[in-house]
Amino acid sequence: MKSSRWAKVLRLPEVSSFGILCLVVVAFVLGNRDFLSPLNISNMLAFLPELGIIALAMTLLLTAGEFDLSVGAVFALCPVTMALLVQNAGMSFTLALLIGFLIAVAVGLINGLLVTKIGISSFLVTLSMLFVVRGVALYATQGFPLKSLEVDNAFVNLLVGNAYIGPFRIYASFWWFIAFVALAIYVLDYSKAGNWISAVGSNRDAAVARGVPADRVKIWLFVITSVAAGFAGLISALRISSASPVAGTNYELEVIAMVVVGGTALMGGRGTIFGTLVGIFMLRIIRNGIVMVGVPGLAYNIFVGAIILVMLVMHALMQRRHGRA
Amino acid sequence: MAADILRIAHLHKHFGGLHALNDVSLVVREGEVLALLGDNGAGKSTLIKTISGVHRPDSGEIFVRDRQVTIRSARDAIELGIETIHQDTSLAPDLSIARNLFLGREPTHMSWLGVLAPMRRDEIAAAATQLLGRVGITKRLDAAAPVRMLSGGERQSIAISRAMQFAAKVIILDEPTNNLGVEETNGVLRFIREVRDAGHSVVLVTHNLHHVFQVADRAVVMRQGQIVAGFDIALSSMVEVEAAITGADVAELLAAGAAAQGGR
Ligand SMILES: Nc1ncnc2c1ncn2[C@@H]1O[C@H](COP(=O)(O)OP(=O)(O)OP(=O)(O)O)[C@@H](O)[C@H]1O
Ligand SMILES: [Mg+2]
Repeated sequence: MKSSRWAKVLRLPEVSSFGILCLVVVAFVLGNRDFLSPLNISNMLAFLPELGIIALAMTLLLTAGEFDLSVGAVFALCPVTMALLVQNAGMSFTLALLIGFLIAVAVGLINGLLVTKIGISSFLVTLSMLFVVRGVALYATQGFPLKSLEVDNAFVNLLVGNAYIGPFRIYASFWWFIAFVALAIYVLDYSKAGNWISAVGSNRDAAVARGVPADRVKIWLFVITSVAAGFAGLISALRISSASPVAGTNYELEVIAMVVVGGTALMGGRGTIFGTLVGIFMLRIIRNGIVMVGVPGLAYNIFVGAIILVMLVMHALMQRRHGRA
Repeated sequence: MAADILRIAHLHKHFGGLHALNDVSLVVREGEVLALLGDNGAGKSTLIKTISGVHRPDSGEIFVRDRQVTIRSARDAIELGIETIHQDTSLAPDLSIARNLFLGREPTHMSWLGVLAPMRRDEIAAAATQLLGRVGITKRLDAAAPVRMLSGGERQSIAISRAMQFAAKVIILDEPTNNLGVEETNGVLRFIREVRDAGHSVVLVTHNLHHVFQVADRAVVMRQGQIVAGFDIALSSMVEVEAAITGADVAELLAAGAAAQGGR
């Protein structure tokens, strides 16, 4: 039946979120014509990949039933480590980069091992890790940002170079982001790994009984999430040529908000990359649009919180009406 | 007599000071339904978990078709043709029926990509639809629907048919009719018979003796970690079996029954 299939699609949380996103955009355009100007769009697209890349990885992790609060701190520590090694220890950029990523891998690995092998909830493990990692970044830099992070390296252009496409100024990081979106959709919806990720989040025991290596799946996802956070931090630091130990503060919450607003279940089992994409644009667009239509910047969080609540209420009501537990 | 498909010899398992399995020996024959009975805490689930790779035995041997095997994980058991089904824990509610049917054994293209290999989605959907036609659930189910929409009995049937589909030699069901309604229970029992008629062996754990007498060929009874009795169902009475489970004397039970009837 065609009509019932359509009804099913319309009921998906990511679809209703997409509807709200469209309404928000229309409202901002009516509020300020310049909202859709090439300059403003270029600005939005410059920031977007940094949180976006973390949100993609977080979607996979959440689908497997875990989350990571340490991403904001890793976002800071990774570039800070790199900058310290280059500026104070005279290390080559490539080697410093490698060590920065190794630290991200280590943080993810420790998170994953503590959650799966010791059996502590990911909330507690990654909350503690947030303090540890942020603390290391602050102590290592004595709290000061490392300025003039000018590195002459071909790789840097690959990360933060930019070019005009028509009137739009597009950063290289945006293309990375598009590539990661495609990869995440492939992994979650088409690959065997995606089936395992959803199954582990939906019913871990059932997955294990079918021979799915649930712990390994989760550990991998913790590592991937942590590396994504480090990568995003690096892009951000190189773009503004400064590595700050307080960069990425509260990013963990904003990223998780992006993911759940899109319709991914906080408790696992159901993940949607399209939804996360909607969530990423939603939060970025609100942040930008609210300023454009003249709402004082300090009132921003009121709107963000309210819109998130509206969406979650909508998702919950729809689920209650149409789904069995 | 049919050949032994699974043989367990002198299995022991301790949980701390508790001797949960005490010298358990058992055979499962080809194409039979074997009921595994016993009171709460007798050790039935522990025995099953040891066979299906959840627990490792402290000592003892397991043979599949006379070949000694070591079962370290669920995957080992599945590869040896032993499928275990626990109520509620055997399916992932957020995945579709089709994806559940192939979970852990997804057919893929380009398998050199390992876990990142793309699933053969058409094949999975087609096989699932075909299987659902065979399951004999009265309602027509959509293979793309998430499992959370299904009733307990439907889920149970899906889990059993998954085991059939991979031609499991032994299908172990731990209390499959728990929490099921009359009709759903009958569906599962009918299904167990069909599975047996298709040549699979079934180990059925249950507390319901009526079910045992409806579908089982043989029964073994556990008490405090030991196998204390074995019955050929066609040649046994329910009273005998019940006595073995509770440890009561048959004469006593019969007398109690007579007294109850006389009192009416
Ligand atoms: N993982 C475990 N750790 C410690 N003790 C356990 C564990 N699993 C089971 N036991 C104990 O082993 C004994 C046998 O338990 P088991 O679950 O095998 O019983 P059962 O025959 O399946 O009972 P029921 O009919 O109630 O399901 C019980 O005393 C139980 O408390
Ligand atoms: Mg039990």
